[in-house]
Amino acid sequence: MMRLVGVELNRLRWRRAILVLLVTALVIPMVMLLGYAWSTRPLSEGDIADAKQMAAQEGRQPYIVDEIARCESDPEQFGDPDMDAADCKAMITPTYENFLYRQTLELEALRTDVGAASITILSGLVMLIGTTFAGHDWNTGSMSNQLLFEPRRLRMWLSKALAVMAASAVAGAGVLALFWGGAALIASSRDITGPPGFWVDVIETQARGVLAIALSGLLGYALTMLFRSTVATLSLMFGVALAGSLIILAIFGETATRWLLPTNFLAFVLNGVEYYDPSACSSGGGFMDSQGCERHVSMLDGGVYLAVVLAVAVALSMWSMQRRDVP
Amino acid sequence: MASSGVQEHVIETKGLRKEFAGRGGTRVAVDDLDLAVARGGVHGFLGPNGSGKTTTIRMLLGLARPTAGTMRLFGEPVPERLPAVIDRVGAVVESPKFSPTFSARQNLQLLAGSVGVDRTTVDESLDRVGLGDRADDRYKSYSLGMKQRLAIAATLLKSPDLLILDEPTNGLDPAGIREIRELIRDLGETGVTVLLSSHILAEVQQVCTSATIIGNGRMLASGTVEELLGATSYRVRVSDPATAGAALEAAGMTVRLEAHGLDVSTDEPGEQINRVLADAGLYLSELTPVRADLETFFLELTADDRMGARPTADGAR
Repeated sequence: MMRLVGVELNRLRWRRAILVLLVTALVIPMVMLLGYAWSTRPLSEGDIADAKQMAAQEGRQPYIVDEIARCESDPEQFGDPDMDAADCKAMITPTYENFLYRQTLELEALRTDVGAASITILSGLVMLIGTTFAGHDWNTGSMSNQLLFEPRRLRMWLSKALAVMAASAVAGAGVLALFWGGAALIASSRDITGPPGFWVDVIETQARGVLAIALSGLLGYALTMLFRSTVATLSLMFGVALAGSLIILAIFGETATRWLLPTNFLAFVLNGVEYYDPSACSSGGGFMDSQGCERHVSMLDGGVYLAVVLAVAVALSMWSMQRRDVP
Repeated sequence: MASSGVQEHVIETKGLRKEFAGRGGTRVAVDDLDLAVARGGVHGFLGPNGSGKTTTIRMLLGLARPTAGTMRLFGEPVPERLPAVIDRVGAVVESPKFSPTFSARQNLQLLAGSVGVDRTTVDESLDRVGLGDRADDRYKSYSLGMKQRLAIAATLLKSPDLLILDEPTNGLDPAGIREIRELIRDLGETGVTVLLSSHILAEVQQVCTSATIIGNGRMLASGTVEELLGATSYRVRVSDPATAGAALEAAGMTVRLEAHGLDVSTDEPGEQINRVLADAGLYLSELTPVRADLETFFLELTADDRMGARPTADGAR
């Protein structure tokens, strides 16, 4: 079996399309990290000087001057009858802080937003790897040639599946390690530390992420072995990704968010997620309470959902491989 | 293994049947086929396009499931015991099928790796089919003939006892065809059993020692090429046909008087006719073997098939 897995790993390694996808899988998360780091970069002296200049220019605008005059003549209209001219000016004149919109780097936000997005993108890319890997064998007809050397079909199915999962897991682990290594360096250079236990959360999230990535590769592979067509699997993937959620929500309403693939995927990776459900909005005072409109999907719930989807795809795929004639 | 006195069959099918479900109903591709290929030599598997040759081969190799019937390779029931005998079988089914973006060497290395064959054997196989110099070129840059050679090289990786070749000379130039035929003949002579599926009758007649002819998924005839062709006849021209005819008949030959002279049917070699006539004081002006060719035999047998008659599951045509 290990010999077969080795052969399949070579087959993966030699495929140019798969190398391109792996490079893409490395580049996209790193670009996202760098983009986040840039958008949260510390304020420089120049940034503050620019903001001060803009605030000064804005303060000279006629509508500001008029507003200050109105405040001085009728401070009560501005909320405080005791305000004097200085108070009015201080209240209405823009300060330079108003022109500094930049966020600061927040490690927890990085984990739940950019980090989760990276895991999602990696999962999508390894699904493509699994798909193109299996699809190539069917499209070229080389599957039948391979079966002339290893006729045990399930053995062949498993060896290819293990190769896809191993490659996906290694790629996912490597990219996520680089991602969080880079994030740690950036945070350290800015003297930013996460909340207590943050890095434990990161390690747990990334461990679930690597598992999700490996299983995504398996799902892409299993579906393509079932359909025996790259195009069919890609159509299904894009259909689910683009239209699936919209159609389900249109038919069943937002309550169905619980059963959407992205909801459960994120619940598993992020150790639970909240989603908006209007049926949960009733509150004691008779008013709509937006806090009460959220429902929780736990990591376990998300994991069970994903496991069922994967198990169905794998079972059908293995049955198909075992029973159907090979062209 | 076969006991003494019983000929061992490398390939054996009994009542083999394959149905395909389609929009127009169930189509029978192979119908109650009993095929037996003895060990050694080159066995032709002849039939018109769509007669069920490739389907039969695909079932033997575990690529398609039979609807009914049994199959054995080297005495082992397949597909159940196929893993036990697959290392002894090399096969090319239909057209060569390799990864187009890999080189010939990479394609063979992957196949060799799956059965634990070393890289030296890969190079030897490539050299044997004349692809050693182009081994690192991408498969997609190959001509059809080169692809066929690569497919044959793949079959040689396992040093097979049985080689199943489905139209192996398709797309080859005349030199390539001759080379592949010589390779097949050599393999047959070295003890490898070759099942050569082909619709090229001359190829089968030149290369094969025995043949099975199928049409509409059914076996029409099977035996050695000589058996299939029947006795050889000779056209004999002599100055006195009546006396010559009597002498030859007295020697146990079948003689028919024709306008051009005599038609003599015999299992004896032609020189025996010469000897009988010389003993009778007659001298030949012509002795021409008139051998029935496989093409005529084949066309007679498969006339229905070529007319498009094809059984359905209920037996209707």
